[in-house]
Amino acid sequence: MSSLNASLAIAVSGLSAEQGALEATTNNVANVNTPGYSREVPNLVSSDPIVVDPLTLGTGVTLQNIESIRDPILESQIQQETQTENQFSTLASALQQTQTNFTTSSSDIGTEISNFFDSINQLSTSPADLSVRQGVLTAASNLATSFNSTANNLTQQQSSLDLSVVQTVGQINQLSQQIAGLNGQISNLENVGQSAGSFIDQRQLAIDQLSSLVNVSVIPSDNSLTLTTANGTPLVMGQQSFQLTTQLNAAGLHDVYSQQGADITSELTSGQLGGTLQARDRQIPSIQTELNTLATGLASAVNGVQTAGYDLHGNLGTDLFNAPTAAASAANLSVAITDPSLIAASSDGTQGSNGNAEAMYNLSTEAVINNQSPTAYYSGIVFNVGNATANAAAEQSASSLTLQQLNDQRASVSGVSLDEEAANMVQYQNAYAASAQVVTAINDMMYTTINMSTLTT
Amino acid sequence: MRVNPNPLPDLIAALGQTQQQINTDLNQISSGTSVAVPSDDPASAAELVQNAAQTSSADQFLRSIGSIQGEVSNADSTLNSVITALQQAITLGVEGANGTLNDADRAAIATEVQGIQSQLVSLANLSYQGTYVFAGTANQTAPYVLNGSAVTYVGNAGTNSVTLGNHFTLQTNLPGSQLFSASGSDMFQSIQDLITSLQSGTGIAAAVGEVDTASSYIDSQRTFYGNAENQLNTQQTYLNSDTTQLAQQQNTLGAANLPAVITDLTSEETSRQATLEAVAATTQNNLFSYLKG
Repeated sequence: MSSLNASLAIAVSGLSAEQGALEATTNNVANVNTPGYSREVPNLVSSDPIVVDPLTLGTGVTLQNIESIRDPILESQIQQETQTENQFSTLASALQQTQTNFTTSSSDIGTEISNFFDSINQLSTSPADLSVRQGVLTAASNLATSFNSTANNLTQQQSSLDLSVVQTVGQINQLSQQIAGLNGQISNLENVGQSAGSFIDQRQLAIDQLSSLVNVSVIPSDNSLTLTTANGTPLVMGQQSFQLTTQLNAAGLHDVYSQQGADITSELTSGQLGGTLQARDRQIPSIQTELNTLATGLASAVNGVQTAGYDLHGNLGTDLFNAPTAAASAANLSVAITDPSLIAASSDGTQGSNGNAEAMYNLSTEAVINNQSPTAYYSGIVFNVGNATANAAAEQSASSLTLQQLNDQRASVSGVSLDEEAANMVQYQNAYAASAQVVTAINDMMYTTINMSTLTT
Repeated sequence: MRVNPNPLPDLIAALGQTQQQINTDLNQISSGTSVAVPSDDPASAAELVQNAAQTSSADQFLRSIGSIQGEVSNADSTLNSVITALQQAITLGVEGANGTLNDADRAAIATEVQGIQSQLVSLANLSYQGTYVFAGTANQTAPYVLNGSAVTYVGNAGTNSVTLGNHFTLQTNLPGSQLFSASGSDMFQSIQDLITSLQSGTGIAAAVGEVDTASSYIDSQRTFYGNAENQLNTQQTYLNSDTTQLAQQQNTLGAANLPAVITDLTSEETSRQATLEAVAATTQNNLFSYLKG
């Protein structure tokens, strides 16, 4: 047997379910611009029926839960792509800064090498002329300065990248702590069977931010989640976070250590930190090595010729360049003599001979540095720097396109559509109005029933 | 299928990309170069470094040629004067060999030849911008010293060569030892012999012969400077055209292709305009707008 009261209860369940559903819509609309927010969908189920023999009667509607819609596989793809994109964008912007040192200008190394050899060619035409000799010394000193400033710029850039390593590690630690905290809140809620949708969104956002900094792997577990760097160094395990630390190494740069004390610097390959480390530890050092090879090779070739000839006083020449240690030759290259008469232009000891100046000029086309002429070797450096920069930029733009597509996909799954929400709102509003109408009808019916009895009295 | 309800981030990204392309185009137009930084085109950037070095050394070769040309043409015209002076000495010698002259006449001629001798010394001590051209490489002091009646050579036999092009090296001087004091045709010896013979009255004809030999020898050596002048001119012409070619190569490697860049700029601007309109259109309406009433 059904009853008016049962019908009223059903109508009320409709009212409250639609109200609850409208709350989900309201929340969606409110969060339409919230980063990382996943839209919520109310799950309405019909309440368990009761069997009143021979009828099975419905008991209305229940708002079972409000579910956040997300695709975990997509999210993990986005994390990976975010790591790659940030690695290359960091690397590209570092290299773009580096390559300005190798842009043709009036004082780049390539131009100064040319100027130096040009001055020697001029010396060859007037080997005893003191003003021409002074020109050679000036050109040599400009060349040394150009090496010095390029090398110093690279070192400075390396230090600022190093600073950024330390800062990034700080950010990673902060995010790990935040994620561990959110893990706690999520498992507390889920343990009592409640939806932790918005905390999960916040955690997802934090994981995305962490992914932009470093390569992380996400291992979900019941109600919780474990985060590690790619090689397995734990960052977050459930409600516990593990702090990374930095320590100065022999080169005066900071290495990254796990909380367990292991040096994990070389394992951090992607994310902003990976890109910074790649620029700091690989790209810039490789350019520095090439510059040092060029500086050492050029200085020792010039010195070799200089010490085989005779200066204006008929004495054997002494080194033109201070030949510093190979490891820092570009930064410390300097001109060893200040007296222009000490340039050994002569090959026979007379003042008018230019034989040795010619020999020195010939170095400009001789394969004196790794089987290449100085200019050819320098142009190789320019190519390498340009190529590394162009590659990083290309990788970044490819990765950012992929990331954009993945984000589109995520938005198509989890994004709030205002059209959809408006339609839902109308739907819930109508259903609410209908249920309310039913309540009114039942009310009328009850009134009728009550009045039936009064009519008889 | 559900679609991305918020295309704005994509549109903004697209706007960013077109803006970047517009900036690149504007940079190329204003700077005139398509390789502003090495990453714009690493291979061309590397070639441009070599191109700049080649251009720089071609310019230097031209300057060096300019420095040498003066010396070489001075040497050439000086040798011309030397030959004229020697011809004068020969004429005087032939005059002195005339049997009708007495000792006093010959002594007067000898004195005249002595004048030519000191003129020759000063010609052979030609100095150009502080260096003695015919002194070999010992060119900071005058190579010929007149000592009484004898002239001695204090220069050396050294020569200088200067690189004036890729694979082009030019010898720039002839030492006096090879030019005026070569054995068998020693100019100063022949003049001295002429003076002595005029003073003594014997062997004048033989001495005139010696001077004549020296004169033709110097004339033959003079071709060295003539050749050098020709080679310098040829190399100068070559380097000038080489410079032009290098400039063309530089243009090919690194100059902005203006028509292409401007076309691209126009299309990027159109695309930007379209994207902006798309942004304006997408943000205008959603279902809520229609529910208001």
